[in-house]
Amino acid sequence: MTDKTEVNLSGVKQSKGVWLVKVPKYLSQQWDKATEKGEVGKISFGKKQGKTEVCFSLNEELTVLDAVGEKDASLQVPRDHPFTMHTVGGQTMAAFSQSDTDEISLEGMVVHRAECRPVVSDNYMKLKKLQIKESTKSPRLSQQLERAITTVFKPVANHNFNVLHDKKKKLEGKMVRAERQVVLDMLFSAFEKHQYYNIKDLVDITKQPVTYLKEIMKEIGTYNNKGAHKSTWELKPEYRHYQSAEEEVPTA
Amino acid sequence: MTSLGSSSSSATEYTVRVPKNTSKKYNIMAFNAGDRVNCSSWTQARMERDMSARRIYGEEETQEGAAGSEFGKKQREEARRKKFGIVTREFKVEDQPWILKVNGKAGKRFKGQKKGGVTENASYYIFTQCPDGAFEAFPVHGWYNFTPLAKHRTLTAEEAEEEWGRRNKVVNHFSIMLQRRFREQERGEDEEDEGEKSGKKKKKSGGRGGDLRIHDLEDDLEMSSDDSDSSMGDDGESKTKAKKDTGKGKKKKKRKSNDEAIEDSDDGDYEGLEVDYMSDESSSDEEPEKGKPSKGEDLPKGIDEASESEEESEEEKQNEEEAKEEEEEEEGKKTPVQTEKKKKKDSSGESDSSDDSDIEGETASALFMKKRTPPKRAGGRGSAGSSRTGSRPGTPSIDSASTSNTLRAAASKLEQGKRQNQGPGTDSPAAKRLKMEPSSQSPAPSGKSTPQPPSGKSTPSSSDVQLTEEAVRRYLIRKPMTTKDLLKKFQTKRTGLSSEQTVNVLAQILKRLNPERKNVNDKMHFYLTE
Repeated sequence: MTDKTEVNLSGVKQSKGVWLVKVPKYLSQQWDKATEKGEVGKISFGKKQGKTEVCFSLNEELTVLDAVGEKDASLQVPRDHPFTMHTVGGQTMAAFSQSDTDEISLEGMVVHRAECRPVVSDNYMKLKKLQIKESTKSPRLSQQLERAITTVFKPVANHNFNVLHDKKKKLEGKMVRAERQVVLDMLFSAFEKHQYYNIKDLVDITKQPVTYLKEIMKEIGTYNNKGAHKSTWELKPEYRHYQSAEEEVPTA
Repeated sequence: MTSLGSSSSSATEYTVRVPKNTSKKYNIMAFNAGDRVNCSSWTQARMERDMSARRIYGEEETQEGAAGSEFGKKQREEARRKKFGIVTREFKVEDQPWILKVNGKAGKRFKGQKKGGVTENASYYIFTQCPDGAFEAFPVHGWYNFTPLAKHRTLTAEEAEEEWGRRNKVVNHFSIMLQRRFREQERGEDEEDEGEKSGKKKKKSGGRGGDLRIHDLEDDLEMSSDDSDSSMGDDGESKTKAKKDTGKGKKKKKRKSNDEAIEDSDDGDYEGLEVDYMSDESSSDEEPEKGKPSKGEDLPKGIDEASESEEESEEEKQNEEEAKEEEEEEEGKKTPVQTEKKKKKDSSGESDSSDDSDIEGETASALFMKKRTPPKRAGGRGSAGSSRTGSRPGTPSIDSASTSNTLRAAASKLEQGKRQNQGPGTDSPAAKRLKMEPSSQSPAPSGKSTPQPPSGKSTPSSSDVQLTEEAVRRYLIRKPMTTKDLLKKFQTKRTGLSSEQTVNVLAQILKRLNPERKNVNDKMHFYLTE
């Protein structure tokens, strides 16, 4: 991302001109259905009364529209689409492409803009109607059910999760007080990693009963009532030596 | 694919292909018409994503572990965010703007911002014609609007706001950027000295770092008129050291004059003020005033006062002036301008010469005319509240007491002579001198004695009013005074003596001088004849 990609300017050098064509969504959807070769239709240039007329006609096989939930053979995407051509006007536009390997190349300058319009027919109108219906459908739907749902949320004597939890607790048993020194070592190593700890977290780490732990902590640490790190324990100054993640612990 | 040749009715047909397996993603690069970008003139171009927004997203990367960290802080923060429903937007690389650099270092730079909503309702395709005549259509994935980036230096938002506040006063706009370059360069040079040791070139970073510094631009602004002339066509980067030194020197000089507390005038301060009349003579009055104290007669009241103050170079005379002015204040005829100015000065101690010089060069308004007392004032500038000895740009305001007594003495003699000549002259009422008239009878003894109380208002600050025989002699020569008047002249605050001491010393002096006595208004006045 930080490397600057050299832009391949060959397209512009050769003065390749491209067209920027605005295509309706349904047409581009049909194009996506094209075969491997990618042929989608034909474009023809004709001259009528001195004016150049450009028209695109869709291939036959692509005119079939897969309507949602209906096999509507009658609904077909219109075939003929004349292009409305515009000049680029004042705006300078170029097309650049970015490959998978993050290579950027300037493909060419836009020389014409065009809009692809369908020939308006009844068929087209039906198609549009369908489109509108679909778009006005709200994504959320309220529906009345005939029967109550009984497959989920059945009343249970004790939830599975709770049962497992209790078992686990029983296995562990009550927390046993370990040797003072052992606990101290555990605490110091924990405080090496972080400066502030919640008592609950300490209990978790050391697996010691709360009262015992508090006793030990009172010896070597202080409790923060206010400040940024509220209700947390930290080591007393003489015990800590924070220096870029290194800590020395004086012997108690 | 084979393309069909011309078919009926002179229509040419080409096949249109939409390639499926293309690895390239096409985008549109749009420029503004006004920028007149000609892509074919580009020899070389580089483009990369602008990742500067990433900092904002990744800023939670505080130091992990060790000091200052809490156990489980991250999780807690995340839980907190979820609870409050704070949704942070992801940093998507594809949505970041592009930075396009054309023709290397010296060329243009563009920033391409993604235009949203392009692919929502309609698709854009790029149609290119292949050598075999068929068209290939590629879908457009994104649209980027490229705008040129300014290469010249610009002001930051804060600096721009400051300059905007000064827009009415600044005439020379070139100097604004010049000052900025000065500052940057100074900073850059400072850092360079350090950087040299480390072998790095820090000049650029110094310059950029300067963007956010807060400083007092007033200094720099005053230099505008001086600097612009000398260094107009100068390239900021290549300023010679000499220049830099002079710049610094000037700055220091200016800073000295700025040392006293000056009340900044806000933008709209002078807008609603009423003036007698505006004259164009204001800004150029500096020079003429130096040599023509008598000019005051015909000018409006503001200048009158200025000229009156001209005539007096010594503090005591200025004190008189103050007394007069305060007397006018009492009479309540002062224009808001003058009152405001007075207040300002009273509160600021020594003259706000810098303030004056700041303004005088710029707006030609008679509001400030009265400040233009001539520089020979320098000798007598010691007095505290006598603010109207104003504006001498370039000279640091004299720190009073140190001004040589000889200077003062010399000036006083000069003035004395002049004063007696002009005594009658100043009395002649000019058009708008109404207010001055009661006080213009100053030569007459009575005029002086009454408004003594206001003189007590004059601001005490650094002063060198000494209770000397010389001073008393001068007073008495000028006009007869009662003991009370004399006492008031030598106020305890100014002389630094207690009231008892003052009385004693004054008594001794009077014994020595043995002035003549005269009874005026049932009061005993002393006077001396030279």
